[in-house]
Amino acid sequence: MEFGLSEEQKLLLESVRDFIVKELQPLEEQVETKGYLEPAQAKAIFEKSKALGFYAMNVPEEFGGGGLSALDTIMTEEQFGHTSDILIRRAFGNVYEVLFKCTAAQCQRWLLPCVQGARTCSIAITEPGAGSDDAAIKTRAVKAGDGWRLSGGKHFISDGLYSDFFVVSAVTDPNAGSRGISLFLVDKDSPGFTVGRNQLMMGQVGTSCVEIFFDDIQLSPENLLGQEGQGRKLVLETLGRVRLGQVGARAVGKSAKLLELMTNYANERKQFGQAIGQFQLIQQMIADSAIEINAARYLLYRAAWEIDQGRDAREWIPMVKVHAAETLGRVADRAVQVFGGMGWCKDLPIERLYRDARIYRIYDGTSEIHRTVVAREVLKKGAALFDVI
Amino acid sequence: MNLVVLIKRVPDTETRIQIKEGKVVTDGISWIISPYDEYAVEEALRINEKLGGGKVTLLCLGPNDAKETIRKGLALGADDAVHLNDPAFGNGDATVTAKVLAAALKKMQYDFVLAGKQAVDEDNAQVAVRVAELLDLPHVNSVIKLELAADKQSAQCTREVDGDRDVATTTLPAIITAQQGLNEPRYPSLKGIMGAKKKPIVDWKAADLGLDPATLSAKLETVRVDPPPARPPGKKLAGDAATAAKELVRLLREEAKVI
Repeated sequence: MEFGLSEEQKLLLESVRDFIVKELQPLEEQVETKGYLEPAQAKAIFEKSKALGFYAMNVPEEFGGGGLSALDTIMTEEQFGHTSDILIRRAFGNVYEVLFKCTAAQCQRWLLPCVQGARTCSIAITEPGAGSDDAAIKTRAVKAGDGWRLSGGKHFISDGLYSDFFVVSAVTDPNAGSRGISLFLVDKDSPGFTVGRNQLMMGQVGTSCVEIFFDDIQLSPENLLGQEGQGRKLVLETLGRVRLGQVGARAVGKSAKLLELMTNYANERKQFGQAIGQFQLIQQMIADSAIEINAARYLLYRAAWEIDQGRDAREWIPMVKVHAAETLGRVADRAVQVFGGMGWCKDLPIERLYRDARIYRIYDGTSEIHRTVVAREVLKKGAALFDVI
Repeated sequence: MNLVVLIKRVPDTETRIQIKEGKVVTDGISWIISPYDEYAVEEALRINEKLGGGKVTLLCLGPNDAKETIRKGLALGADDAVHLNDPAFGNGDATVTAKVLAAALKKMQYDFVLAGKQAVDEDNAQVAVRVAELLDLPHVNSVIKLELAADKQSAQCTREVDGDRDVATTTLPAIITAQQGLNEPRYPSLKGIMGAKKKPIVDWKAADLGLDPATLSAKLETVRVDPPPARPPGKKLAGDAATAAKELVRLLREEAKVI
């Protein structure tokens, strides 16, 4: 059992962190104030990161990506947690693993331009009536000739204003239940595609969340991602990786950043003639945060390691999702408390980080849903899920 | 060109320095390439990138753990490295360090040598100059701009002097030290990081340099290490602007004695 970082891992994480601290963090406040990232700045950070090979590091080398293992990808995602969502998207790319299912022809049109940063993709699964119950979607793809005609709509589609194509889930066979759902690659400029409102959110300012509508869009066989009827399975697979990387790992990174801010403040801020870090009630908040962050991190690494062993980590991912997201919630809450009035005040980033943290327990499956999955698996498989032998 | 860059492993500049039993505690601190040395590495890489060839060799004196620091330099793009790694070098001051580095450079082929103007740990700013003296090479320090002559036989070096610029031309080989402003160092790229392990690092000990460990004792004795005194609290001048300005002038003249 080896817990240390290899020389390459250490250098990579240091280099990514250094890039985040010097190039991305200085832009955070501006994004928050303006509500968006200036296109010129987005282009500049993309070009800098791309030149360093930091864009699409999770993508295998055969598709032009960085070729990192699942564990290395997860560790870089943890570093990404040290900055805000929109800056991560532009600097490091959000190339979803589901796109690796592209055929050779589809690769040319969708995956490869995405890895190059020439195109951007959003995942479009959620509908007003289908959140955690993602099989309840109403979007329909009706067979027409050798293709389909797509009708319906989605909402809460992250980065949808910027993205130029979408992985859309749609019912292809209404009689086949969850086996009647398929995934399609849908270009934004398809006739019949419209973007609705940008739905304003509590946090993660700068990342658009939009409604999108499909009005009888003509899809060809090339638009189908994977096999017909395989959509639900692909959704679960791809969301598994999203939950681990974009939610679990980033939650750990964000928690670590918050604890660092808290610790510095507790050492500097003086009340009653001493640093507030000398008070035991403050110490408890710092101790609990450190304990929970380490527990979340090693659970996270274990799940990623499972994937590198060729397993799908489906039992581990929900545990990570719940524990990392809830750790972040608690750490962010304590950070506001330790900072006191300054934690509530917009002069410091704590209140922004607190608002950004809240979504982690909700998106990509609520804590409640994931607890249900964990419990179901434990009841079914028993000790294999919580014992070591 | 064949360029050698002297690099030193130093505690991260954000380290909180703690002193215990008269020594700086080094346990659990993170280490970096001294920032001025990073400017030197960057300049060497840029020179060869511009010329479209050549080799950048890192030369580092330090303990086993300095390998990690060397590896970062290789990840930045240097081609290979020499690690002067012998416990006999370990207790050296600037005199000994310069002696060892000079002995190593005597064994190496180079067109010129770059280094940081000083290491940010002890801020001696002596080693590079001493090495140059030992090797009887010209040296130009604290350079913020470096331009090679077309024939590559000399270099024009710009330095900052009291609000002005001082330009010195030196023949090569020489030892040139980097000041902040020379360039903006790059980040190690993913490709550089993954390739760093494949680049050769040679370890040289005292015997490899023909040095007798008995001659490597420090000339400098450290009697005591103290943290810098805590900064005294600031002073707030009361009264309206005219009164405060008058009081400020008095304090600057009588207390601070700067005017």
